[in-house]
Amino acid sequence: MNKILLVVERDVRLFFQYKFLIIMRAIWFVSQIALFGLIASRMISVPNVDYFRYYVAGLSIMTLYSAAIFIGFDIYEEAEHGVFEYLLSLPVSRRQLVLGRSIGGGLRSFIYVGPLIALSLYVIGTVNPLNFLVSLFALFLFAFGVSGFSITMAVTIKSSDRFDILMGVLDALIVRLSTAMYPLAIVQATNPLYGSVASLNPVTFASDLFRWGTNIITLDNPLLPLLGIIAFFSFFTFVGIIIYDRRIEGGGWQ
Amino acid sequence: MKQNADKSSLHYDQSAASPARTTTPLFRASLSLVLINGDVIVFFSHLGYVVAPIIRMERLTKRFGNLAAVDHLSLEIEEGEILGLLGPNGAGKTTAILMLATVIKPTEGTAHVGDYDIRKQPDKVRGLLGICFQEPKMLWVSTPWDIVNWHAKVCGIPTAERKKRVKDVLEAVEMWEARHKTVHALSGGMRKRVEMAKVLIQKPKIAIVDEPTAQIDIVGKHKIWNMLCEMRDEGSTIILATNELYEADVLSDRVGIIHKGKLLICDTPKKLKDSIVGGDIIDIQLENDAQPKVVEQLKGFKEVVKVLQIKPSNLRLYLNKVEEVVPRIMNSLMKSNVPITSVHMSEPSLDDVFAHYTGLTIEEAQKSGEKS
Repeated sequence: MNKILLVVERDVRLFFQYKFLIIMRAIWFVSQIALFGLIASRMISVPNVDYFRYYVAGLSIMTLYSAAIFIGFDIYEEAEHGVFEYLLSLPVSRRQLVLGRSIGGGLRSFIYVGPLIALSLYVIGTVNPLNFLVSLFALFLFAFGVSGFSITMAVTIKSSDRFDILMGVLDALIVRLSTAMYPLAIVQATNPLYGSVASLNPVTFASDLFRWGTNIITLDNPLLPLLGIIAFFSFFTFVGIIIYDRRIEGGGWQ
Repeated sequence: MKQNADKSSLHYDQSAASPARTTTPLFRASLSLVLINGDVIVFFSHLGYVVAPIIRMERLTKRFGNLAAVDHLSLEIEEGEILGLLGPNGAGKTTAILMLATVIKPTEGTAHVGDYDIRKQPDKVRGLLGICFQEPKMLWVSTPWDIVNWHAKVCGIPTAERKKRVKDVLEAVEMWEARHKTVHALSGGMRKRVEMAKVLIQKPKIAIVDEPTAQIDIVGKHKIWNMLCEMRDEGSTIILATNELYEADVLSDRVGIIHKGKLLICDTPKKLKDSIVGGDIIDIQLENDAQPKVVEQLKGFKEVVKVLQIKPSNLRLYLNKVEEVVPRIMNSLMKSNVPITSVHMSEPSLDDVFAHYTGLTIEEAQKSGEKS
């Protein structure tokens, strides 16, 4: 357990070494709220929805997603700099290493997004404490799931260029085909296919649960998105671990 | 430097490179006889068992496609020795090291590190090893302090001791001042010193150092060599992979020459040099011209392989075991009333040994390796 925590600690510390990236993203987050959110909400009118609050909640999820996905880029960079060989030579079992990385990737994104979520809560206003705790738990699992997803992609795709392109494309599709920025009903009305994809998207589950926890929307059955997030987390955490483990043992990282 | 230099000659022979060599413990005792007040006192300066080698590679092979990077490597390494793996870039040294460290899996064969099989108990194997990689393995955003401190944590060094040792080690490799700089801001030599610091702080049972002084200036090289010797003296076994002949020569108790993935020979540097027939050279300058009978007299020594008369009064002898035979040659010439002006001796270098076994100098081997 101690070794897993050390791997987690390394990933968390490493993330916060990217100071410029963190500051830039924080500035982007604040400017999206203070500029884009405020301005866009004046020209967007959605029935029964305060779009500004709706957007700020979605922005938090988008930021959490992009922070959690970063672990895959780290893994690529480590492979390029040979750091992977170093990690594999340590007195740490493969399982401990893989589990530690998966947890570290999720945890660091959660730590990073914590102050930003606090800021968004200040903007959003009232929360339902119990619902909010449930949504926070869901976001935690969501961050781990995205981290596992990113690790899976990083160890499956051998070319760093392909990985960059794929992650760019997936980022665009996953975030935009979700309810991070617009309600599901409007996505559905635009194109039923878009609506179908968005309704199964983990970003949708996370966004909806966070808005539910912050009293922005009501959900008929919050258990459904929660189960969706648990399924996403379980699949990509465990599949990610298995694939990562196999790649390591087979020398697939080389 | 080579405090253990004689040790390997006591219980190692060339058959050690063969997997068939027995690993059954043998009884060993060293005696010292000392006269005190006319009485003979016998000291058992060492008494114990010669245990099984700490590392045993058995037909260790790694293929990448059709290329055998390491080809049926069989070698035993004894506890407490510095074993130099000498070969040009691409010879297979690093691949062999990565297999030992369980970073990559062998295609064929295996190795035992301590009591553990690298295939079956890789976690246990890694617990015994510390590695200084050829290329420093660190991300550019990390700092020397972070790197060494985290490494110490993973290796299980307790907190109180760790803080002191991180400072000591970073000071020893002259990186304390630069401890908070990012790797991006460090020179190649500084990065290499940080890489070395990881092994120094770990004090592993078995240290594997892959070209530890590459990119390091001559003063830094000597410091690192001293650190490696200290580690060995404190009980670590060291595998030194290098393509620097002098480094292998001065540090290693034994040197294994590896070329195109194959281990060609492994022995003490001295024995390797002695293994070249006629490898030693002495130039004898006589006061007068050398008579044919003098040349014949010199040819009469069984160690002398060839005698050349470079100038009428200058003879060049190609011979073996120069230290043993030169006094005898001098005595013989003096008894024959042949006055000598000067004698110049030179012994073969490991480069000569490498050339002898591969047909190439190490530079030529490096170039041919790069082409292939």
